[in-house]
Amino acid sequence: MSVQVSAIGFARFGKRPEGLVELAAESANRALEGIGRRPIDLLVVGTMLDHGPRGPASILPTLASRLGLEAAAGYRVDGASATGAMAFQHAVLALESGRFERALVVAAEKMTDRPTAELTGEIAGSLHASEVAAGATLPALAALITQRYLERYGGSTASLDAVSVHARAMAARNPNAQFRDEVTREGVAASRPIALPLRLLHCSAISDGAVAVVLERGDGPATVRGFGQGFDAVRIVDRSDLTTSTATRVAAQRAYESARLTRREIEVAEVHDAFAPFALLHLEDLGFCGPGESAEWFEKGWVAPDGRLPVNPSGGLIGRGHPIGATGLAAIAEVALQLRAEAAGHAIAHVPRVGLAQSVGGIASQNWVTILGREGA
Amino acid sequence: MSETADTIELARCASCQARFLPGEGPCPRCGSTEVQLYLASAIGRVLAATELEVPPPGWSKPHLLALVEVADAVRLLAVVDGSLPSPGTVVSVRAEGAIYRSRSEPESGRGEGESPRPGNSGASFEPPR
Repeated sequence: MSVQVSAIGFARFGKRPEGLVELAAESANRALEGIGRRPIDLLVVGTMLDHGPRGPASILPTLASRLGLEAAAGYRVDGASATGAMAFQHAVLALESGRFERALVVAAEKMTDRPTAELTGEIAGSLHASEVAAGATLPALAALITQRYLERYGGSTASLDAVSVHARAMAARNPNAQFRDEVTREGVAASRPIALPLRLLHCSAISDGAVAVVLERGDGPATVRGFGQGFDAVRIVDRSDLTTSTATRVAAQRAYESARLTRREIEVAEVHDAFAPFALLHLEDLGFCGPGESAEWFEKGWVAPDGRLPVNPSGGLIGRGHPIGATGLAAIAEVALQLRAEAAGHAIAHVPRVGLAQSVGGIASQNWVTILGREGA
Repeated sequence: MSETADTIELARCASCQARFLPGEGPCPRCGSTEVQLYLASAIGRVLAATELEVPPPGWSKPHLLALVEVADAVRLLAVVDGSLPSPGTVVSVRAEGAIYRSRSEPESGRGEGESPRPGNSGASFEPPR
């Protein structure tokens, strides 16, 4: 049974005055308008953070009431920074079961009303307790991984700078993105250290935002072709090689196999650049290039909208913003926009037939890959 | 069996023979709970290290972390006492409560390293949620 994305709605990412429910409803209503408000019988909501007194007691029934979907069934998922991808894939599974006709998947996060230290602490909940005990944060572990990667392949931080420059150039074209101004390599290299070699502009920002998609049975330009998920050790010291992501490789292999296609058929990709080096490392683990080769893709512009493989035309996490629970669905929604020729200012040079979205949860301990495309393409 | 200044405790899986850092969990490779502890040299080599510009609550600047490889290719994350080590630096490692600390060799004596303040979540190994 085929399942397709039939409508997409964004609540622009950035620093927003609205709360979690308002942002989620804004994106959901846009998606629902896209299908002429035909009936929805499944509501899947993805958020990661515990919104406590700032949020509703339960986002799921609150949103169901707010959207007039009390007759639907639903559930909420949390897969750390891959929450949105998890919500999407499991909504597809629910539709494939035959039990449901049409699903609304909403992924949202509200972050900018909280102190950075508090957010960093809660996000560190996706790391291993013994590493958090040593005062580790997500950027700190990402910095250690980055050093290993750069050392192994003789890379320099200039390759990280190039990823950030690309991300911001793409985001400047995307009206849903948080950052609409471009940055230079010099500007990235001069931004303040976070955990060297990572600097501020190598890191995704704290953002508010939401995205929603309607999924229904049938074929179209954005049919779900395949997907997969993979795990890796939460305690990073248990990983024998930090320069590659087992979770991404497993997820990608499962996605390619279930889609019955290869990476050569992918014409646009969204990868999870929570930190610039992640774009390099995961592009390799998705099979688009060999180990240590991805820096050249950014150096030579092969990832540009008219390049060999357009990567992150949305601006990625660094440019589009990273409302943590929404990000995974935003990547899939961007691929769907490109396939449906609805990307307007951020469209790649040609309307692609097949696209891939990859999401990373935590320090890459649960990663997800989703492939959309025209059936038979 | 107890650690001395020159040794740290590592773990070996009785089922698959994997060597790993002890924790509360089973073998990270095969899931077996038959885990044997053994003593190994406390000397290791830094694989990567970084300084957190904004340390998490309970820690003060400078807060330095190193990924260290010790005997049998077992890795650990250590709080660095002293200056930021470059990759390849030989360090001595010691366990301190729930965390590890590393110091560059050859340096005699133990520095008055910073300790997590009371209330830091580092007090116990809790399973990840």
